[in-house]
Amino acid sequence: MELISYKIKPQNLDAVFAALADPTRREILSRLATGEASVNEIAAPFDISQPAVSKHLKVLERAGLIVRDIDKQRRPARLKADAMAAAVSWLEQFRGFWQSSFDQLDGLLEELKRAEAKGRENE
Amino acid sequence: MNEVPTYVLERTFNAPPELVWRTWTEPELLGRWYGPGAETVVHRLDLKPGGLWLLEMRWGDKSNYQRVEYLEVTPPERLVWLHSVTDAAWNVISNPMMPDWPRVLLTTVTLGDENGQTKMRLTWVPHEASEAEIACFSAAIDGMDKGWGSGMKLLEQLLAELQASG
Repeated sequence: MELISYKIKPQNLDAVFAALADPTRREILSRLATGEASVNEIAAPFDISQPAVSKHLKVLERAGLIVRDIDKQRRPARLKADAMAAAVSWLEQFRGFWQSSFDQLDGLLEELKRAEAKGRENE
Repeated sequence: MNEVPTYVLERTFNAPPELVWRTWTEPELLGRWYGPGAETVVHRLDLKPGGLWLLEMRWGDKSNYQRVEYLEVTPPERLVWLHSVTDAAWNVISNPMMPDWPRVLLTTVTLGDENGQTKMRLTWVPHEASEAEIACFSAAIDGMDKGWGSGMKLLEQLLAELQASG
């Protein structure tokens, strides 16, 4: 399979998928999709403590899925799109491989059917 | 993660299963469609349980090698094989882009007859995989196919933004 190039290091994809494997972290990402938020704001809808949210944020940050503002006191977290785009394109790559192959197969099948029909005519 | 998800691809081909079967099992036909934009060379194809299909895909001067070991061969409806990426000497290797991606994927292809057309279903599940491989595979499938829900729209949006920003 031809490999496509990513803006992030390939080794980091493992960290990205590990981070995405947790439902709470996916919820946090969905929350951040609506805009930046502090730990307090992120923790509010969840039945988990702020330290637990902070831990999740650390995993997301290490995977490069979010960035946190260091200047401001509330340290809001923001989504970073590159890493997620890489994770999505990884699977899209397989889908793309098969779909392009199947498009070629469609053409080959038409050709074989025509050859068969012709063979019958000549009988 | 309790359950390993399955990667599923479905497609309908406008030809009867007998013909589709030939394109999946005859080397000269396989070489003509498998591998987009690549020159696909079938080095070996031994169509029986335990038999090997070794193929090389060439893109210019770069090659990619794959090894398939057939487990089940039931014409014209079912093919089961173990799929791996290999080096040039056909040794199974981990994916250079993602080390924790499963090295061996159990692939099942079924061809169903639907009024002279063929409904194909291809599935992948990790085979004898390590915990890390299963975690990686699960996260990939889960995250992409179902776990996201509304998050999927968000990703499309992010991708569009990324492409726009170049």
